[in-house]
Amino acid sequence: MVSHPKPAAGGSLGVRTLNKTRRVVLFGAGATGARVARQLRSSGRVDCVEIRDPDEMTAARLIDSLGDGAELGVGRTLDESVGAVVIASPGGTQTVLARRAIDAGVPVVTTSNKTAEVRRLLSLDQEARFSDLPVIVGAGFMPGLTCLLAKHGARQFDEVEEIHVAKVGTGGPACARQHHRALSSRGVDWRDGRWAERTGGSGRELAWFPDPVGGRDCYRAGLPDALLLVPEFAGVQRVTARQAATRRDRLTAPLPMLRRPHPEGGIGAIRVELRGRVGRERRVTVFGAIERPAVGAGAMAAAVTLHVLDGRMAPGAYGLAGVDDTAGLLRTLASRGVKPVRFEGMSTFV
Amino acid sequence: MGGGLLTLVRRALVAIGAGIAVAAVIRVRGSGGVPPQTGGWRELGGTDLE
Repeated sequence: MVSHPKPAAGGSLGVRTLNKTRRVVLFGAGATGARVARQLRSSGRVDCVEIRDPDEMTAARLIDSLGDGAELGVGRTLDESVGAVVIASPGGTQTVLARRAIDAGVPVVTTSNKTAEVRRLLSLDQEARFSDLPVIVGAGFMPGLTCLLAKHGARQFDEVEEIHVAKVGTGGPACARQHHRALSSRGVDWRDGRWAERTGGSGRELAWFPDPVGGRDCYRAGLPDALLLVPEFAGVQRVTARQAATRRDRLTAPLPMLRRPHPEGGIGAIRVELRGRVGRERRVTVFGAIERPAVGAGAMAAAVTLHVLDGRMAPGAYGLAGVDDTAGLLRTLASRGVKPVRFEGMSTFV
Repeated sequence: MGGGLLTLVRRALVAIGAGIAVAAVIRVRGSGGVPPQTGGWRELGGTDLE
């Protein structure tokens, strides 16, 4: 496994964080953004959440519902009084905002699930390290919690050979549109030490998610998970990502969305399967979680933001598989109401 | 020549029809997979998060 250097106790990251108020700027007041704001306010560990969204009416409604400690912001300008920036705007808009935050010297938490954008965000690594800032890429339900569970579960292995992640469900309308596009986009898998492009909608696999979701047919799609996982697992041989889809989803994937997406999808789930070696024994471990995807993503992004504010995230641009204190972050996530599960059954074979 | 082409078309149609029939039987009768027979999902906690 690859480790990012932890911030030293009393080191530069910690000192810089202590000098700031615990003020967070949140870009995006959609389904995920609203959950991030609620989680941060209810944590009692953030003084103020400033919400910025092109749709000021939506942002104002969210602020009204949050009460004290939330305020409306405009534009993209940031200054050093901000403790952290959370970007929950639609995919494709997050890199510009992340770069602005780095220029202003503010740590960033992003939630993009778009492959091209995740590539661009990861390419900010040198800038982030130079500025001594954490830029967390894809801190959502999937990617996000999936990456964190993969890293956490990998500690039980001597060697992780395969990681397979899958998801069911969508969050808000932007997530639903991305889900629709992903099914007709080319996916990227890691196989035998090299990247392999795969046709979206191919590779049907029946995956079992935590109850009550159960078994769902999952397909390859334009998902960024492999990009976030591979750099953190030296020697991993296969990394794949799939999403659940119905026959109608697959049939209509190449077309524009035929109707407006729902304000929010129903219950969703994620699944992380690790295959590897413990001593001479080969082992399979499966983790999962069920939650409405926007709720899960909001809780995950909020938990990461709290760790960023505490100076517990290392500098650099990386996904949650790059976090060293996975147990600490999972405990924070559990305190925010999302508790992952693990499948316990037959999991070893020689 | 005409008879040969007609035979080819007829055989192709029969092959396609047989394929559709087999696919339909599998689709209708197939179980779609076997759920896990042992074990279950357990919430992470305690020593899992140390």
